[in-house]
Amino acid sequence: MTRGLVTAAIAAILIGEAAHSEENVPNLRDPTVIAAGHDLFLAKQCAHCHGVDGTGGINLARRSLEAKGVFQSIADGREKSGLRMPAWREVLSDEEIWQATAYVLSISQHSK
Amino acid sequence: MGRMTWVATVSIACLLGTATVARAADPGAEDPNNWPQYHRTSNAWRYSPLDQINKDNVGKLAVAWIAHGGDITMGIQETPLAIDGVIYSITSGDRVAALDGKTGRELWNYEPRLDPLTKKVLFAPYSRGVAVGHGMVFIGTVDGRGIGLDQKTGKQVWETQLTDFANCHGCNFTSPPVVAGDVLTFGSTAGELATQGKIFGVDAKTGKKLWEFNTIKDDPKSWPGESGKYGGGGAWMPGTYDADTGTVYYGTGNPGKDFIDSERAGDNLYTDSIVALDAKTGQLKWYRQEIKQDVWDYDSPYEVMLFKKDGKDLIVHMNKSGYVFVLDKNDGKIENIWPVSDVKNFVKDIDRKTGELIGRVELPVNQETLICPSTFGGRSWNAGAYNPKSGLWYNNVLDFCGYLKPVAQKDDPKDYGTGHTGSNDFGRLVLAPDGRKPGRLDARDPFTGERKWTYEMDVPGFASSLTTGGGLVFNGDPLGMLRAFDADTGKVLWSFNTGSGMRSGIISYAVDGEQYILVPSGWGSYAAILLPPLFPQLEKVPAASTLIAFKVVK
Repeated sequence: MTRGLVTAAIAAILIGEAAHSEENVPNLRDPTVIAAGHDLFLAKQCAHCHGVDGTGGINLARRSLEAKGVFQSIADGREKSGLRMPAWREVLSDEEIWQATAYVLSISQHSK
Repeated sequence: MGRMTWVATVSIACLLGTATVARAADPGAEDPNNWPQYHRTSNAWRYSPLDQINKDNVGKLAVAWIAHGGDITMGIQETPLAIDGVIYSITSGDRVAALDGKTGRELWNYEPRLDPLTKKVLFAPYSRGVAVGHGMVFIGTVDGRGIGLDQKTGKQVWETQLTDFANCHGCNFTSPPVVAGDVLTFGSTAGELATQGKIFGVDAKTGKKLWEFNTIKDDPKSWPGESGKYGGGGAWMPGTYDADTGTVYYGTGNPGKDFIDSERAGDNLYTDSIVALDAKTGQLKWYRQEIKQDVWDYDSPYEVMLFKKDGKDLIVHMNKSGYVFVLDKNDGKIENIWPVSDVKNFVKDIDRKTGELIGRVELPVNQETLICPSTFGGRSWNAGAYNPKSGLWYNNVLDFCGYLKPVAQKDDPKDYGTGHTGSNDFGRLVLAPDGRKPGRLDARDPFTGERKWTYEMDVPGFASSLTTGGGLVFNGDPLGMLRAFDADTGKVLWSFNTGSGMRSGIISYAVDGEQYILVPSGWGSYAAILLPPLFPQLEKVPAASTLIAFKVVK
């Protein structure tokens, strides 16, 4: 990857995080946020469909994901390709959904 | 038998000379053209006496019509009904439709406005069927209602909220009610839900609730302390109505938390049991618990089959563990118990006379334990089929295992998307330790378990089978292959790729002297989500919701 591409990628990430911060988004790369998200991932049985390490039936580890899309999928559920994920808004707080988002991003292609 | 039905039956006989003649000992044969209830007849055999399609001409089967079911979410899981040339179907979102049985043309449809909470609960938005009777089509909805529709128009006649949907962890109905004379009986989901599963009796004509039966017994010996409050149970598949005795038989769901029993150190009645209820009052006549203090998720909601044999009235019933219980219909006394597979390690065995679990394997908290069969069971909820001509019962056997790991979990019935299981997941699936094929279609004697033939599969079957008077067994697999077998030998006589996997019930019916095989195809359900790590072939199976009717090309 050229230096220019790296710079552009970093810029994109910074712009993205700046945009998130306007919506009170925690730092999605903060290890404590990711760890809290991991705890939720297990406690809420996300592992039921996604596997304890994200490599379950609905494999997250090999997907390229972005933060807002993950947040929305968790909050409002997801129906695609005949499959269904329940909605978690009001069961989980927004802060908790962001924590879960941080963990999902940490195991997805996004962070690799 | 109605006049028109009788005329049609005679027409088949005249035209083909092979039409089945009704026999008194063959319940349901008096109406051979129809598939009027979930398992076709109240003996739950899934046997159609029609024999126009048979071993000699099954190779000429071709598509007669195709209809789309609508929303594909969680696939198509129903067993449709066929009555006097009309198909009654239910698909995702509890969408009900009546179709012309000759063309697939939609005659009417009905789609209820579902409670938004449905988006959050575990068991939705699929349904496994409708019931028909009293000039109405009846459904149980995924937001816990019973609804009656006019059979001719689809207009709603009545609706009754039966479950306390918002306060029972989203307990609802994912299978059809049973028409038990003037009463409808509805079994609710529970098991993995922090609630007490119920069976409801409702006036079929008005929808008025008549009674409810709690599958969690109010007994501190059975449920110490507060453990029964969220004990689970329920009855999430249709029961069997026996008009001779006015009894409805239901198999019940597992206790919760699924994998942790430390707080429920009793027998946990009436979970994992067959309960015999007076259909008019809901009073318990008898029960037979199959799995005491279950920790392996071995529910009992599968079909309750009725037989007359050697002067005895018998029930044959498979528990999810794969053990088959042969019981006296009148009191639940054990006649025999046999396993559908030797891929089992959760117990050393079950005592054939007492039903006692011998050498049960407990699950240490925070440790993985290999348990066979897996939480999918020795067979899934999709029913087998019994053919009175061959004397064989055909079942899709699952020969794989799973690692279970109980972990501490707080009770929270408002946490709708989380199962009350005492675990982070539903088990890590693995093949059987001896490396055998993970699934097979088995043909066995239902009373002894003696096997006549078997057909091994690389990906096991998860659909209900059909067997017919034409000496055939129809079976669909998750990859989309529909096969017709010789019922006596297991030889594959015909196959067809339906384009999506099958998780539903195949039926047969006749209209104007022509026999049809009707196949719902559309892969979905939790199986579609959970199975790919063990069966990567399933990752590429497209979703769908399709009804495909076949008949013999002339």
